[in-house]
Amino acid sequence: MPANTYDAIVIGSGMTGGWAAKELGQKGLNTLVLEAGRSIDPAKDYCEHVPTWGVKFHGLRDRRKELKTQPIQRTCYACDEWAAKFFVNDLENPYTTPADKPFSFIRGRHVGGRSIMWGRQTYRWSDLDFEANAREGIGVDWPIRYADVAPWYDYVEEFAGISGQAENLPQLPDGRFLPPMAMNCAEVVVKDAIAKTWPGERLMTIGRCAILTRPHNGRMACHYCGECHRGCISRAYFSSLNATLPVALATGKVTLRPYSIVHGLNYDGQTGRVTGVRVIDAQTRQALEYRAKVIFLCASTLESARILLNSSTSQFPNGLANSSGELGHNLMDHAMGSGASGMIPGYEDKIDVGERPNGIYVPRFRNVKAKSPFLRGYGYQGGAGRSDWERGENLAGFGAEFKRSLKKPGPWHFDMGSFCECLPDHNNYVELDRSHTDAWGVPILKINCAYGPNEKALLQDAAIAAAEMLAAAGARDIQTFVEDNAPGLAIHEMGTARMGRDPKTSILNAYNQAHDIKNLFVTDGACMASSSCVNPSITYMALTARACHYAVEQMKRGEI
Amino acid sequence: MKRRDALKLIAGAAALPAFYSQDLFALGREIHQQLASAAAPKTLNPHQNATITAIAEMIIPATDTPGAKAARVPEFIDLILTEWCTGDDCGQFLSGLADTDARSRKTFSKDFVDCSSQQQTELLTALDEELTQLREANVRGRPHASAARRELETPVERNFFYIMKRLTLIGYYTSEVGWTKELGRPPVHMGPYQGCVPLADAPGKTNAS
Repeated sequence: MPANTYDAIVIGSGMTGGWAAKELGQKGLNTLVLEAGRSIDPAKDYCEHVPTWGVKFHGLRDRRKELKTQPIQRTCYACDEWAAKFFVNDLENPYTTPADKPFSFIRGRHVGGRSIMWGRQTYRWSDLDFEANAREGIGVDWPIRYADVAPWYDYVEEFAGISGQAENLPQLPDGRFLPPMAMNCAEVVVKDAIAKTWPGERLMTIGRCAILTRPHNGRMACHYCGECHRGCISRAYFSSLNATLPVALATGKVTLRPYSIVHGLNYDGQTGRVTGVRVIDAQTRQALEYRAKVIFLCASTLESARILLNSSTSQFPNGLANSSGELGHNLMDHAMGSGASGMIPGYEDKIDVGERPNGIYVPRFRNVKAKSPFLRGYGYQGGAGRSDWERGENLAGFGAEFKRSLKKPGPWHFDMGSFCECLPDHNNYVELDRSHTDAWGVPILKINCAYGPNEKALLQDAAIAAAEMLAAAGARDIQTFVEDNAPGLAIHEMGTARMGRDPKTSILNAYNQAHDIKNLFVTDGACMASSSCVNPSITYMALTARACHYAVEQMKRGEI
Repeated sequence: MKRRDALKLIAGAAALPAFYSQDLFALGREIHQQLASAAAPKTLNPHQNATITAIAEMIIPATDTPGAKAARVPEFIDLILTEWCTGDDCGQFLSGLADTDARSRKTFSKDFVDCSSQQQTELLTALDEELTQLREANVRGRPHASAARRELETPVERNFFYIMKRLTLIGYYTSEVGWTKELGRPPVHMGPYQGCVPLADAPGKTNAS
């Protein structure tokens, strides 16, 4: 093969890029994976076992530095003093928004992408989700249903290793679960109260997460140090770096190239195909080109849209594969930041041991059976714990007795926060801001996105319903909260190149293949036609594996 | 790029041992461990440092375990003042510290550090009671966003004794001394998660009663 020519190019090495690399490599395609950021060496870069006294500010973060270089990234809980290096420098990676529509674009640029710092929660979609757009006449109908994806959920879950408890809920299908993690004393109290008060309607289950509760596929079981977002030398949680990329590279078919910023794709108007990618070497600034028969965009919802918008041609003046005009539109995230907290009395002589990197989950119950005055619904994540020495700053006292009192754990408190489904809306969109470029000269995005009345109604309802559940559990000092977070903070952005049945109103077909360009696939969150209320990564993974299978079959038949 | 080079990029991910290794877990700690330094304070002058040291040790005194001074809390507070605070945070804190001396001179005609321990306790008790009153006057929910907690923005969070107590607690309990000797916890939990065990059976978490 000529130099710089491959069977397939995968753009991005994170959650979906890792899967595309593994699937295409295992199917025998010579595959180039292009990662915009640096490489990560787990032995040096993972830092989950560094104690608080091993970092300069004992966990209070390098505040002056982050205010200067990471003013946006620092709003993410995981961008802490240890893991800040896994988040981008905001000065090098700018974007703009209208003044009245802030957006939190939280991201990492390195091998593994955000799969290094993700929240690891993994929930299947159901037909309640896939049918919602068609049922309500919102956005476009999904070209697939649960039955199309279910075997691929099985496939990716069996490889990744998902712990959880089967509950037999139609709105939250069970998966291929490893043993569930335990709930603690106070969580069991709340779980029992919910089951007793709302039988057949609401329930609480342990979080389903991509963390191994027993050894699996050569990876170790979790030992509960609790700081997954700083890396995991045990490889107990799923990330592309921990799981898919090693398998991909072991095939001998996959080449991984970090520091490779994709500026745009090359399109041949004669054949109607993409022929390759234009790359800027992030270190040398050298312009490079790579060619391939098929291209998988796995760069993330916003970056994949940016690459397509930066790849305009005379045939596609508004962005590649954009004959529908929907490219960049229908951006969604999950509205989050509402819920309730309270103290759970009792169990003062009991405690939990270990730092469980997972919480509880209350699956969606709104608009499942009974109708609510808003559309769709929300799920809750949260959990219980006993307060620790930190409570001392809000207590009176000092001296030996004060010190002794802080050695004893405080009361059990329980917090639950909602993740609310966001409706697809053409008016929430990204476009190129041609007046600005990033540190490598690539035009940046202007993000125009705001939550609408339905998301706000869901947030309000979720705070009240959370308080009801805590009250049912006998909680004291119940407090509700409804934060006015900008979109993006849930880091579940999706929808900028949606799947659909009609090429006139969508970018991708039922197999994540561009309607306009048959050798172009987009399998990250950009493909989503609606958002459900569950964490989306496992669905991206399943759709990626499914799309890879389809692409290779089509290539064998000479269709691509 | 050759595959061998590519493999090197994620070397370690593919070649980890299939069992827990203390050496492996120690690796990162050693790399990141800050070297002990006995450098002089950069922001606090000797008098201010002596006052901070006295107050911190009164908040968390040495008992059967070391106290704030042994955990090098004063150095931590100086670091926060020197490299962490922004705007007028540091100036406000230092004026609060100066006010403590002013109160001391007014009541006992000498600086805080020169007072008897009984006098010092009296002064600190007054500061603590004022903080309690301020807290009650500014009742609000426990802030949810950890960002808000970091910013020290509310009236309570701008109070000198609140900041002093908070920094003392953080400096102490996040130190190796505070974490391992006082709280008796391992630096890294390695074992199963148990959701509901008797306190007496959880020495790693707490054994106080």
